[in-house]
Amino acid sequence: MRRIIVIAKNTFKETIRDRIMYGILIFSLLFLFSVTVIGSLSLGEDLFIIRSFGLAGIYLFGLIITLFLGASLIYKEVEFKTIYIILSKPIKDSEVILGKFFGLLTSIASTVGLMGLIYLSVVWFNGGGVDYGSILAMILQLFEFSIIISILILLSTFSSPIASTIYTIVIVYSGHLLTLMLNYSANLGGFQKYIVLGAYYLFPNLEKFNIRNLVVHNLNITQTEFILAMGYAIIYTSLALCLAHFVFQKKEF
Amino acid sequence: MIEIKNVSKTYGDQKAVNNLSLSISEGSVFGFLGPNGAGKTTTIKMLTGINSPDEGTVEIDGHSPEISSVREKIGFKPEEPHFYEYLTGLEFIKFAGDLFEQSYKKTEVEYLEIMKSAGIYDARDKIIKNYSKGMRQRLGFAQATVNNPEYIFLDEPLEGLDPIGRRELKDMIRRLRSQGKTIFFNSHILSDIEILCDKIGVIHRGELIYTGPVLEFCRGKSLEERFIEEVEGINNKS
Repeated sequence: MRRIIVIAKNTFKETIRDRIMYGILIFSLLFLFSVTVIGSLSLGEDLFIIRSFGLAGIYLFGLIITLFLGASLIYKEVEFKTIYIILSKPIKDSEVILGKFFGLLTSIASTVGLMGLIYLSVVWFNGGGVDYGSILAMILQLFEFSIIISILILLSTFSSPIASTIYTIVIVYSGHLLTLMLNYSANLGGFQKYIVLGAYYLFPNLEKFNIRNLVVHNLNITQTEFILAMGYAIIYTSLALCLAHFVFQKKEF
Repeated sequence: MIEIKNVSKTYGDQKAVNNLSLSISEGSVFGFLGPNGAGKTTTIKMLTGINSPDEGTVEIDGHSPEISSVREKIGFKPEEPHFYEYLTGLEFIKFAGDLFEQSYKKTEVEYLEIMKSAGIYDARDKIIKNYSKGMRQRLGFAQATVNNPEYIFLDEPLEGLDPIGRRELKDMIRRLRSQGKTIFFNSHILSDIEILCDKIGVIHRGELIYTGPVLEFCRGKSLEERFIEEVEGINNKS
């Protein structure tokens, strides 16, 4: 456990100091401030627009940062040979994978937290009070990001950052359309149906974490749905990390 | 004691190391030489537990270096060491130390002492991205000794250093030797090997062509002359 924390701390420091990440973060913060202006352009729907754009912005920028940092996480270690320094120390492969995962998750949580604080302040200044619904939406977003990070770690054990990013974008996009795919599969027959069903069960169902529409329309999510979504994220993340560990263990350096 | 018995390692179709056997006694400085692509780095990776041999065994004090407790006793400086560019030198040394059971309780003063002995104390708070090649070699050396290891593996430790830097690192190797450490290092700089090592191993195309005292290998000639003679002799035969 101690070594996982050491790797995680190092990953956090390394990622949080990345200048490109700062660029994206500054841009996202400017965007969040600017939603007030966008809101004021609407006719009496200021808060609706602010919440709608704000939550979507936090998700989008969070996703960009996750993709940017996660796609090269393991790849960079191998490419720049820093992995030699780590693996010659008394550390297990699983500790490296878990440390990298928790380190990046902490970085993403910090950036989402910062964006969230700005967003909540904007909502509050515009008379929305403390927006608990949005806080829940952001927490679920983090669980979604944990799945995406684990997929990125898995992919970055065997593919280049560009390939990992492209695969992950496809997975994220498909992951938000799985319910549609399932409905569509009902009209298909034979082999095609099995392919769509295969994708449905293989890809993570990321819509479970999307309560942004409910929040902006002041609708509630049940406690059970919330807990089930978290459980789903934990199980999917664990499986992806186990697979990443398996691939990493087999790798020759 | 380092013991390599009938070790072979293949990458794809390429046999990087073929039936290598070596024995290095405790407290000695062993120089491992060979032309580029001879199998030196592959051997060092197996000795440090980074990769496993396909055949044969590698043992340090009778155990495989893939066992964590064995790696507690090992220090390794890779060739042209790359580091986490956004960390400071001190942060990196602490990170390296924290991965060991025996050194994670070290205080900042102790880490600074290690940096001082590697000659990078003044650069402790500098971001590694701004380190020169020589400073990186020193940092690599410092992280390799952070756990006070019994066995130190150095891959091209003197590469990229100016004459003063080389002299300082050679002094450091001598100091570690006087402390009873076993040092195994690869180098292209044969004059340094000649000065520093008790014994040498010469590897070519993955096969060991000589192991023993430096003087015995040289037979009155310089190490460089003899090395070229041996390697070219094999090349001409094939």
